[in-house]
Amino acid sequence: MNVSDALIERAPAAAHVEAPLRRFVAMYAESRIAVVALVVLVGILLCAVSAPLISPQNPYDLAQIDILDARLPPGEKSAGGMTFVLGSDDQGRDMLSAIFYGLRISLGVGIAATVAAVGLGLGFGLIAAYAGGRVDALIMRVVDLQLSFPAILIALVLLAVVGQGVDKIIIALITVQWAYYARTVRSSALVERGKDYVEAARCLRLSPARILFRHILPNCLPPLIVVATVQVAHAIALEATLSFLGLGLPITQPSLGLLISNGFSYLLSGKYWISFYPGIALLMTIMSINLVADQLRDVLNPRLSR
Amino acid sequence: MDLRLLLVGLLLGWAAQAPAQQISIGLGGDVTSIDPHYHNLTPNNNVADHIFGTLVHKDEKQRPLPGLAESWRPIDDLTWEFKIRKGVKFHDGSDLSAEDVAFSIDRTGKVPSSPAPFTIYTKQVTEAIVVDPHTLRLKSAAPYPNMVIDISTVQIVSKKAAGAASTDDFNSGKAAIGAGPYKLARYVRGDRIELVRNDAYWGPKPHWERVTFRLLTNDPARVAALLAGDVQAIENIPTADMARLAKNPGFGIFRTVSNRVIYLHIDSNRDKSPFVTDKAGKALERNPLKDVRVRRAMSKAINRQAIVDRVMEGLAIPAGQLLPDGMYGVSPRVKADAFDVDAAKKLLAEAGYPDGFGLTIHTPNNRYVNDEQIAQAVAQMLTRAGIQTKVEAMPANIFFSRGSKLDFSFMLVGWGADTGEVSSPLKSLLATYSKEKGMGAANRGRYSNPKMDQILEQALATVDDGKRELLLQQAVDVAMADVGVIPTHFQVNTWAARKGIGYTARTDERTHAHAFVPVKP
Repeated sequence: MNVSDALIERAPAAAHVEAPLRRFVAMYAESRIAVVALVVLVGILLCAVSAPLISPQNPYDLAQIDILDARLPPGEKSAGGMTFVLGSDDQGRDMLSAIFYGLRISLGVGIAATVAAVGLGLGFGLIAAYAGGRVDALIMRVVDLQLSFPAILIALVLLAVVGQGVDKIIIALITVQWAYYARTVRSSALVERGKDYVEAARCLRLSPARILFRHILPNCLPPLIVVATVQVAHAIALEATLSFLGLGLPITQPSLGLLISNGFSYLLSGKYWISFYPGIALLMTIMSINLVADQLRDVLNPRLSR
Repeated sequence: MDLRLLLVGLLLGWAAQAPAQQISIGLGGDVTSIDPHYHNLTPNNNVADHIFGTLVHKDEKQRPLPGLAESWRPIDDLTWEFKIRKGVKFHDGSDLSAEDVAFSIDRTGKVPSSPAPFTIYTKQVTEAIVVDPHTLRLKSAAPYPNMVIDISTVQIVSKKAAGAASTDDFNSGKAAIGAGPYKLARYVRGDRIELVRNDAYWGPKPHWERVTFRLLTNDPARVAALLAGDVQAIENIPTADMARLAKNPGFGIFRTVSNRVIYLHIDSNRDKSPFVTDKAGKALERNPLKDVRVRRAMSKAINRQAIVDRVMEGLAIPAGQLLPDGMYGVSPRVKADAFDVDAAKKLLAEAGYPDGFGLTIHTPNNRYVNDEQIAQAVAQMLTRAGIQTKVEAMPANIFFSRGSKLDFSFMLVGWGADTGEVSSPLKSLLATYSKEKGMGAANRGRYSNPKMDQILEQALATVDDGKRELLLQQAVDVAMADVGVIPTHFQVNTWAARKGIGYTARTDERTHAHAFVPVKP
């Protein structure tokens, strides 16, 4: 496929300018799995957002949980008369509530970190592509350096230095991820920079900032959106890993990774539910995000269009 | 395919014919060094028991037994005389003499950068006099009835081999020459310790020719190794797996109460304490933990039985004082506070805190059995009584260094009485802190009551065992009436072994390979 094909591809889209959204939706809906994934993802997001409203219990309020209810199997009733639909963990927390609240943390941390990292990566990527020369070399070598270390290693070292807490985890995730965006943005910005419309804008003596943000940036966004969606899933997985290793959030406010870690020692003794259900929740979250991201990539990538 | 089957068959046959006299044992704590004077840590001391040995051994209930010393007696108020066992040979064939013992005692103070030196047990020895190769006199500046118990913690090394040896020389095996029942074959840090039997050992000959200690600090991994047959025995059965192992007829379980008390240390000294706040999180001007009524309320708010049943799954005993019943110096008058939230709230109101206050409990997360789970359970219970409690968990090395810098207000700690009697926790945890006197070394709450100090000092200078015990009991009474610390429970030490192997459970958490013996199934 070459450039002229792409241009031909774009021509009909331009003709139906009034309905790009409808076209987008139609293309997305071509994959049944992607639609299911989207529905699941929306459901998970709703659960996370409305956790305080729909949870039977506030699992982070120590006065509401009772050690005497510890490790009750799914369906068992507590001393206080509450039913633990998915059982309770080793502190007597209702697993269902803990999962809702855990999703809140996981998604919140994942999305916040990704948005911030996208902003940072976008800035550096654009500057590198537009400025070129030494600035470009400097930024890209830093990116190379960072991408040559495993993400988990960087995060572990960072957390060991700065300590624990939600803000610290987000900082660690941003540090780990910005490089991906910087590289993605730079490469697409480099391609755009050489195109005629940028040349034309230059001839009109528009300011560099205007050219960058009004002309180049919008055309770099589609690949960035795809990468960011995939990276949200990575961020959530990384947060869960860090929590599992005990480096994440306070133990009285378990996120999904910590819940899995808490139940880990009971796996062999038949009390599967402490690890199993949070694991399923994490799996569904990450999988649905990945499936949605996959389909977005297909839809947004002109080269894959039929 | 057939060839593969054949190979498997051959391997299985070979495994079955392997000499039966070897054993692999999964240990739950990391061994930081083979140097027996480097770090006073139960896992290290345990390995040292195999390679080196002490003047005074202890049986499974920590009662003293003759070890490398055949006998001992006080010859005056300030001098103890030890008769060194004759005919004992070090692993290199040289004879054990009083010189080696004097050297070992002296070496405890000379190991560079020791994280927990043995000097707490040797500080009071002012002079070691070698009378003849088999007689040693130890002198102290004041009457020292605990001399024998204290000196029983010092491992005896060979002066010839360890003369100028560093801790690394011990780890490499070069200097690890002792007179114990096993010789060091290999030490792989963080992984395993391999021992071979010392056939010239002076005591009863151990059954196992070769012993491998696998360092399996991850709980599920340790149990999995036992179930898979990688190891024949493990120490420290995780509470989560206890019920399942107990039901499995292929394994035997051995248990006894531990000398280790798990307790909560309270900042009862400072006027302002870093982690005491009002309910909104603002620092309080006045430290409520100084008030004995508040401390008593906290003790009453804790449901010890629930911790034992739910967090420890029955593998613990509720504690009201520093050592379990039956040990030397335990007061018959002190009982664990009964769980009573209403009484706790009432006491808090009396002390001027009807609405409670805010507090943070700090806990290690890899030191004691279920440490961070216990801290969370305590936080729940205190919160319900009105003291809004947060939990902060951290690895033990960070926890202990911060705790010793008095960074905390309220913390979960454990104390294993190495000496098997109550003066050890009284001296370390409750005596007024004094670096010069070597008192209160682990008193991270800085509890202080001159009356307690005075009774304790008197006890420590009393040579008569009966009178000393009465005084120690009185000291316990005073400290517990003040709620100097809040004991929660005593751990239960557990071991599991394949069917056909027996073990004598020990109060001091030691896992002695020579105490595993084949038994008729």
